[in-house]
Amino acid sequence: MLPFVLYFIAALVIGFHLYGLLSLVAYGVPVNPLAVVALFGSLALLVAAYISLFRPRAAAKVALIAALAIWSFYAPGIANLVRAR
Amino acid sequence: MILPFLAIALLVIVTAYSALVSFRERPKDAPSNLIFPARTRRPARIVAALASILIFGVIASSVIRGPQASRERTVRFLIPENYTGWVRVDFEITDAPPLPVEDGQTVLRIPPSGKLTTSSPEQFGIEKDRYFSYSGDTLKPIPKSGPGRLIWGRLNGEEQGASGKRTYEEFFVGSEQQYMDQAKARTAPNSP
Repeated sequence: MLPFVLYFIAALVIGFHLYGLLSLVAYGVPVNPLAVVALFGSLALLVAAYISLFRPRAAAKVALIAALAIWSFYAPGIANLVRAR
Repeated sequence: MILPFLAIALLVIVTAYSALVSFRERPKDAPSNLIFPARTRRPARIVAALASILIFGVIASSVIRGPQASRERTVRFLIPENYTGWVRVDFEITDAPPLPVEDGQTVLRIPPSGKLTTSSPEQFGIEKDRYFSYSGDTLKPIPKSGPGRLIWGRLNGEEQGASGKRTYEEFFVGSEQQYMDQAKARTAPNSP
């Protein structure tokens, strides 16, 4: 049950954050393609949560791929933040 | 503000956990544990399904209602025909009447003086305001953009009044030249 809870909560929190960022499009903010990739990653993480109920190891592999997709958005942001400081 | 940090923290945990489970071989005949759990039992799967249906239901209803309920502002300004000059609306004035709502749009009927006071609060959100000139019961749309634009200098602010803080909105009705002349007169050092 631990993998389900972990993947599920992470997918929801990350999905909410990305949805909030992407909804700024309504105010004229341009879309970051990596944010879209990461949003699909959070969706894959959600899928991994359900797979984990049946095949935990296969779910871990899906979750790892999803996490890498999500990192493609967060890693450059963190790097820029660190460089700015 | 906490959401991005929480997202990154969870992402770090998920990455570490999924990498560990993916790449580390589970010893044969080892009992299931926290890191290498066995297949979830049926009651737990049912609980997970019910919990996720509940959570998705709440999220879907808030997403569907959200944009219409809180992010859009639909206001209809009715301005006297041939009116030229600044229009001002003061909100949250205690003794003033509330704004009427017609067809889901809040109606602000500006009197010939160009000043309207209301007890209703100011609306915020994605602006979908519409402007009309009125003469009796006849309404004509006033363009707020494009070549024949007649609405300029829209602004809102907050003022400290006798009854506390209150908000206001202002905009100019007229041609671009009239607006420029008015703006210059407003910012001139000796202007009243």
